[in-house]
Amino acid sequence: MGKEECKTMLDALNKVTACYRHLVVALGSTSDSQNLREELKRTRKKAQELAVANRTKLTSLLKDKSISKEDRAEYERLWVLFSSSMDLLEVDMKRSLEIGQDFPLKVPTRHLIQTGMTGSTGTVAARAMSVQNMKYEADSNIDTADLRDLQAEISQVSQMMEEMEMKVQVAPWAVEAKQEAGAELKSNMSVGNSSVGVISICEEEPKDEEGGGGGDAGLASICAVVVFFVIVTVAVVLGYLVINMS
Amino acid sequence: MTIRNTLRDHGQRYRPRMSCLKKVEKVLLEMQDPKSGVKSQPQRLVITTIPHAITGEDVVAWLADRFQIDTREARSLGSMLVALGFVYPLQDHKRLLLKPDASLYRFQTPYFWPAQQWPVEDTDYAIYLAKRNIRKKGILELHEQEQYNRLHKWMNHKWDFIVMQAKEQYRAAKERKKPDRVVFDCQERAYWVVHRPPPGTVSAMDYGLDRRIDPNAEEVKTPDYYERIMIFTQQSIMRPRVKSSVSIGALVKYCATYNSHDPFLSKCLPSNPWHTDDVTYWTLNMPNVETPTKMRVERWTFSFGELLLDPRGRDDFRRFLKKEFSGENLAFWEGCEDLKWGTAATMREKAEQIYKTFLARGAPRWINIDGKTMEITVNGLKHPHRYVLDAAQTHIYMLMKKDSYGRYMKSQVFKDTLKKAICPEEHKFTDAQLEQNAKNRRPSLSPIILRQQELEERAKMAANAPVDITQLCRFTTPVPHLAVYSGLMDSPTANASSSLAVPCPSPVSVAPDSTSASDRRAEPGGEAERDGGEAARAPGPTCKSRVALSLRRLLRRRCGVGGAPSAVFASLSPRCHAAAGAGGRIRPISPDASSQAPSRRIGNFFQIKVDIPPECRIYPIESEDEDEENRATSQGALGAKEIICPWESLTPHNGAG
Repeated sequence: MGKEECKTMLDALNKVTACYRHLVVALGSTSDSQNLREELKRTRKKAQELAVANRTKLTSLLKDKSISKEDRAEYERLWVLFSSSMDLLEVDMKRSLEIGQDFPLKVPTRHLIQTGMTGSTGTVAARAMSVQNMKYEADSNIDTADLRDLQAEISQVSQMMEEMEMKVQVAPWAVEAKQEAGAELKSNMSVGNSSVGVISICEEEPKDEEGGGGGDAGLASICAVVVFFVIVTVAVVLGYLVINMS
Repeated sequence: MTIRNTLRDHGQRYRPRMSCLKKVEKVLLEMQDPKSGVKSQPQRLVITTIPHAITGEDVVAWLADRFQIDTREARSLGSMLVALGFVYPLQDHKRLLLKPDASLYRFQTPYFWPAQQWPVEDTDYAIYLAKRNIRKKGILELHEQEQYNRLHKWMNHKWDFIVMQAKEQYRAAKERKKPDRVVFDCQERAYWVVHRPPPGTVSAMDYGLDRRIDPNAEEVKTPDYYERIMIFTQQSIMRPRVKSSVSIGALVKYCATYNSHDPFLSKCLPSNPWHTDDVTYWTLNMPNVETPTKMRVERWTFSFGELLLDPRGRDDFRRFLKKEFSGENLAFWEGCEDLKWGTAATMREKAEQIYKTFLARGAPRWINIDGKTMEITVNGLKHPHRYVLDAAQTHIYMLMKKDSYGRYMKSQVFKDTLKKAICPEEHKFTDAQLEQNAKNRRPSLSPIILRQQELEERAKMAANAPVDITQLCRFTTPVPHLAVYSGLMDSPTANASSSLAVPCPSPVSVAPDSTSASDRRAEPGGEAERDGGEAARAPGPTCKSRVALSLRRLLRRRCGVGGAPSAVFASLSPRCHAAAGAGGRIRPISPDASSQAPSRRIGNFFQIKVDIPPECRIYPIESEDEDEENRATSQGALGAKEIICPWESLTPHNGAG
């Protein structure tokens, strides 16, 4: 069914857009590196492929005059999803071009901003590319070479967006969202306790109740560890006594 | 005197906004230098250690060293870095300032730097709020909740996308290691504190309107560009010039006068609210406060304009004028201001109202303007527009300025106000108290509510407005058997003389005592009648309207070019003529009429139209004596010099108004 295909492709595009944004945030900071640039390039290419595929599919679906009203509403909703994704992607690509130009990697005295982020972004990129591990094979002047490609790609994307708006007449404001406010809480997001705890400690508001909750969570894990060790000690002692007895 | 903008901005297209951003970026890059930059240290949290934290004092020291400035300036420069969002605080993230102690800060990643060409999108903010919602399991702060609901309403069509994207970004963030995750969350939160400040946070990102053209871009030198330069310089040459001795003298005088009143240049008592977050200064200087501050009263002495512009000053002046019985001048001036600044829909009615109250012959609060101005005004009133009463208003303004203002300054009212004025003590807040004040910041009343209150006040004042008869000439001499004036309990002679003793505004000449006395004496029965009328006044508005009707008739009668039956009043005319011949304007007899008739509706008063001839003359009052002759001559034929009042001609006999 065309709709399901569309939805899965849109999900994929959505995922890649989100990952691309994470990667662009790391640009220019201390977690910037050759690898990051390569990750950006590959994610971008993937995003573009997905975008083109989505676009062809959706345009063909929308051009079809013989679909029912609900179908058309649904396709319009998917169209709005697609165009918003493309908006985000375009802005991120332009920003990455600008930041990439401002922070070249191959200069003798490079000043990357010490933001506190030092880890690699490989896992994010792997998620974007839907692979287990990223393999880096780019050559060393990727930052300058890539920028030229990036410029070309940006113009490509802009052109595509313009064509889209011309060809398909969808009023984006007329689309009604299916999700209501607070829908993001519905699907089970397993919020890792530890991350909540650490982040809450960063917030310096002692009155923050979340800090209390986070503190409790941390405390609970510490208590669990302590209890475990106590039990292990008791077991060791008992075992020693048993051995002594026998 | 105005100081003109002498920068060559050629029509203000290229006024640079936020050009500081590019400069700050350079400074920030310098700060990163491992050798000569700011020293960083790791931030130790419970489980992890995150590097690249800098202390406030290090930043201040580095800035002072780099730019060769003193610590105070370095501190404010550092606060600017924080307020713009290039550096964010790790503790107390909502207060965007640099504390020169060991509190920790961190640099913001370039993606989250403020940039002129990248506007902050609401979509991104919605995604951020959704992510925060997930992280906090639905418990958002109040302002965040409000924003969330607002965005949900206005961006509803994109909401699916926002939810999907928020979830995906959340999942992607979890792929990173813990310290990086923490740092990213802090960065994003800091970004949104700068660009969507929570209440109580001062944002530095207010830049006014968007310009069409990028202010940082280089301008191409087309012929059009040079054309604009030529036009600008030609206009500069044609500008009228003032001798620099004159202009500089005026500047010096202005600076000397206002130096101690400027909150930038001198201390603001009790304390500047923008510095200390304590609003006592504003509450003490509210428009309708009972006792003004000494500084405020001192400002009133600078110029008449200052007095009028300050609502409390105007109030005081109004009180003084009421005592002097020349309140109509100020009322007229206020009415003209109201007309100028009011809505276009109400303009016609307002102009009509002002005319009837102040300008028409025998109007209840008639103002004294010269004949030429009156002529211009009445001609203009045929097609009323916003500035139709400008000439009259200026005349009255100059009148008040030259005459009443001087007397006000020497008057008892002003002296009392000056004595009662308060001089508040200066606040001395400790740092802890300042922090407390910052936390307790509350928004003030909404301007909509303030405007409503203002309108109510004005309506109340209009309802209580004194309906004082301001001129007593042959046209408005009280008729004995008509209980015209109320509240006249004391003897007319004494009253008349006392009222006559009150000086009138300059163009008005005071009638000699004797005439009025004779006038009064000539109407012996009037007193009794008046008292009787006074007693009869107490019941019902019908009495008042009758009185009003008769007064109106009387006024019209005097001005009327024949046509009105004057049998009843014929006996009076010789006496009135005699009185008038001695020279016209007598001050009102009963200034207290207003206080005795508080809820008298002016509308009622005006709706009663008596038989006035449609072509009636409006007499410029100065030339009364000549007018008498003119009137006599042109009794039958209407004179060539006829000023036809627009409303009276249009609506001759409207009883309903």
